[in-house]
Amino acid sequence: MICRERIPLQRQNAVPVVFYLAQPPPTGKMRGMPRVRTLIVGIPLALAIVTMAALWTVMRASTERKNEMFIGSIAEPATLNPIQAADSASGAVLGVIFNGLLKYDAELNIAGDLAKSWEMSQRSTFFFETPGDAARAAVNLEAASKDFDRLHLRRRHAEGKRLILELSLPGTADSEELAKFFGDVHPLSVSTLSITAPKPLDNALGEFASHDPSAQIVRIWTNGNLGEVVFLGDANAVAQRLREFLSNKIGADGLAIEAISAPAFLAEPEIQFRLRNDVKWHDGVPFSSRDVKFTYDAIMDDRAASPRKSDYELVLMLETPDEHTVRAVYRRPFSPALESWMMSVLPAHLLADLPPDQWPLKFNRAPIGTGPFKFAEWKTNQFIRVVRNDNYFQGRPHLDGIVFRVLPDPLTLRLAFETRQVDFWAADPWAAGGFKKDARFTVFSSPGNAYNYVGWNLRRPLFQDPRVRIALAHAVNVEQMIRYVLYGYGTQSTGIFTPDMWFFNPHVRPLEFDPEKAKRLLAEAGWTPGADGILMKNGERFAFTLITNNGNAVRSDIATLIQADLKPLGIEVKIEMYEWAVFLKNFINKGEFDAMVLGWALGRGFDQFQIWHSSQTGPEQLNTVSYKNTEADRLLKSIREEFDRDKIIALCGELQQLIYDDQPYLFLFVPEGVSVMWKNAFRVRRPGPDGEWIDEPVTMTKAGWSYYLEWFYRPEYAEEAAK
Amino acid sequence: MVAFIIRRLLISVLLLFFISVISFFIVTLTPGSPYPWGELNPKVSPEVKRVFREKFHLDRPLPEQYALIMRDLFTGKLRSIKDERPVLEKIGERLPATLILNLGALALSLSFGLMLGVYGARHAGRLPDVLTSILAFTFIALPGFWVSYLLAIFLVNWAAVPILGTHTIGVDFTSGMQIFLDGWWHVMLPASILAIGGIAVQSRFVRASMIETMREDFIRTARAKGLDESAVFYRHALRNSIRPLLTGIGLLLPALISGSVIIESIFAYPGMGRLGYEAVLERDYPTLVALNFVTAALVLAGNLCADLLYAAVDPRVRLE
Repeated sequence: MICRERIPLQRQNAVPVVFYLAQPPPTGKMRGMPRVRTLIVGIPLALAIVTMAALWTVMRASTERKNEMFIGSIAEPATLNPIQAADSASGAVLGVIFNGLLKYDAELNIAGDLAKSWEMSQRSTFFFETPGDAARAAVNLEAASKDFDRLHLRRRHAEGKRLILELSLPGTADSEELAKFFGDVHPLSVSTLSITAPKPLDNALGEFASHDPSAQIVRIWTNGNLGEVVFLGDANAVAQRLREFLSNKIGADGLAIEAISAPAFLAEPEIQFRLRNDVKWHDGVPFSSRDVKFTYDAIMDDRAASPRKSDYELVLMLETPDEHTVRAVYRRPFSPALESWMMSVLPAHLLADLPPDQWPLKFNRAPIGTGPFKFAEWKTNQFIRVVRNDNYFQGRPHLDGIVFRVLPDPLTLRLAFETRQVDFWAADPWAAGGFKKDARFTVFSSPGNAYNYVGWNLRRPLFQDPRVRIALAHAVNVEQMIRYVLYGYGTQSTGIFTPDMWFFNPHVRPLEFDPEKAKRLLAEAGWTPGADGILMKNGERFAFTLITNNGNAVRSDIATLIQADLKPLGIEVKIEMYEWAVFLKNFINKGEFDAMVLGWALGRGFDQFQIWHSSQTGPEQLNTVSYKNTEADRLLKSIREEFDRDKIIALCGELQQLIYDDQPYLFLFVPEGVSVMWKNAFRVRRPGPDGEWIDEPVTMTKAGWSYYLEWFYRPEYAEEAAK
Repeated sequence: MVAFIIRRLLISVLLLFFISVISFFIVTLTPGSPYPWGELNPKVSPEVKRVFREKFHLDRPLPEQYALIMRDLFTGKLRSIKDERPVLEKIGERLPATLILNLGALALSLSFGLMLGVYGARHAGRLPDVLTSILAFTFIALPGFWVSYLLAIFLVNWAAVPILGTHTIGVDFTSGMQIFLDGWWHVMLPASILAIGGIAVQSRFVRASMIETMREDFIRTARAKGLDESAVFYRHALRNSIRPLLTGIGLLLPALISGSVIIESIFAYPGMGRLGYEAVLERDYPTLVALNFVTAALVLAGNLCADLLYAAVDPRVRLE
């Protein structure tokens, strides 16, 4: 026993294994054994040597730069089908492959892209008891008014019981004013019912119209389960009869019929696009109005499940009178509609014969577009490569291609930028300062179109007094918050729009940090310090829970700073954080919270009906704080019906001021987006407005640093770009 | 033997059923639902959400959803909610990358683990053994993501080499050798991080097993025969002590395909770990259920293989 314990441990006459290779070859008596020993050391050694050789190869290789651009992204695009994509990673790639009819120019004004030009107009139809009335109204109108031009009236004619006005600008205000000149004959007012059915409506509404002539239906529209009827009959009675008819025909379960507030006449705006005739798809087939019509039909087709469908639900019909003309007629004035035509157009010749459930396998992974770059390859979870489209209708881009790399880890993404494996980096605010000081880099920063806020739940009595909300705004030091949370990369928010938008109201003054004023306002509202220093009113303590989602450092920092700012005033804030899905499901969507920290990332549009209108306060709707103001409701509705740029600016300005004064949110800040580029990695050489070439460094435009992407070139390849 | 296999297969089918039911309910009962475009998006109308939910049967009761998912899984028609591609195709696409990565990690941990373990056992109780032991325990204690970041920062600052993805992008290698070495580099870097823990554990395992074997009777017999101590150690002791190690490889099968979430993300490596992780974040139920199912099936297969291998290698084990 003792022997067994000791012998193997003490007989250490062999050299350590790692040095064995240098020993003389073993004698014949030890056959077989050296093989094992060699393998034990040899395999790891061989692995290490090959890895070193690989490192050497890779080190030596990574010097020469190709005429390509490398862009890194945390997430991978979900799909390269523009009507199905909704994530920003997809958007970046789609932007260089596809074009829309319209686009934003560098100043964020609407400009033509696949459309050469566009024109808006409107047909307003008024209905009368008799043809005689209609004719008389026309005569009265003729006699009474002199400024048809100001009211955008182009033509008018009576047609049976109808009087049709053709206007050069859509909207309701002009037509309403013109209707005042009809004199003693009054038009019949039209009513509109919107229908959501449990099953596709098919021709059910048409059958109702012929079955019930007393409803005097003047227009029907159906799309799948949705429908709309416009009629002259008695609104309540017709709604009742329609409900009965549809219940019998397709079932009452899940059938919803509601009257919607629409103009009292039939207002049908129209946008007519003239398309460019020099555009070709990447496979050489010419682009035409057929593609636009197909794209629209595809979006409306439920099988494609496009998240953009709601943008086009007000389209009454889309016509293509010829190869290069597209005409969209709307059911009523809706000014945000114009921007929906920035939607990328799909190639009808490839997709029309392919059922939408086949798209994900074919087209969505290898799209064909009209844009400056052609799709080349997609290696899942690694990169997407696009190459130059030599036949691009705006001119041949300078770069050979762009590689969109998927680099899911933020730290290694930064390392990839520092080793020039990607050319741009969207910097975190805390790191941006360092890059700004470093002469090797160019830093682009601009206020983004997003803002952070604290939403006060106006269903809670605590926040119903506006003086209290204004006091809270005075009590929070937003400037300090920007300094601590964003390292200075942000500006104080002054309401529902962000400063980069053309309808932003620069005259709204931010509420300044003033704890004394806050105290005064709270005292005015009846809040006085109680025994424990916390404010009291009618036996209630001023205490609430501030919730936000976890995993977002900016939001949790905001909550902490607010808690600290409100404490000296005698307000007790409890902070709670939840996982995003729980946060939405249990609190936000139900409206079950006191106050929450969140942010809005807005599009470029001016329509915020869904966020602020009093009709949008239900569960899962977006007016989560239950803000209700009749004046705001009126403005939100008018903005949607106004097409005149100056009037939109005026209305939006008024709305922004009104909501800021009401403080349903404590508007905090607009963070700046910061992008870093290696100095002189790229320059821009682009056609100027008069056909000359402009050669300039990459600069920040209102539409971002990448606005002129197709005109970027690497200075190493300057001669190629000059060709 | 055949009866044993049949019985095990039947039990496996039953087990797979329970695993798939449990995994389905765990993923679907987690708060949140799959909306690819984000829930607070003003552009998405209730009508669009309804169409979306119908398309993926999310409006049906859970048991029915489960039945539909399993039906589609077995007919190969199951599609991911994220991009509507067939789930099996998505899994198949990642499988080679993950296999290569984990085979690399396995090769590293076995070879280095064996070398260090044998070295430690040969010098048991003396300084070289103490040093390798300290090294092994340090390796066990190191968090993988931390080492990854340190290694990444070091390599980038010192050598400015590309470390992400499966190959260097933006450089066209001409010779096949260069392409091979480039691929080797991009696999071995994350593989070595994955192997750190394995090297440590294997080396301890080998060391303990060797020291134990050296106390066996047959070793005394070998010595009594007058064999050289090296021959006793490397020929007789080593072969007998690595046998349990080999059977353990069968159990590594699930680890080979399930991938590593953190290491794959840090090194932007396109493997199964990332697929599963992203599917969890996106509440991509079909992908998750299919991934769980495939992984569970492989675990069961791995267990069965391990048992069979054990019986083949060790005559003392009989399968009834």
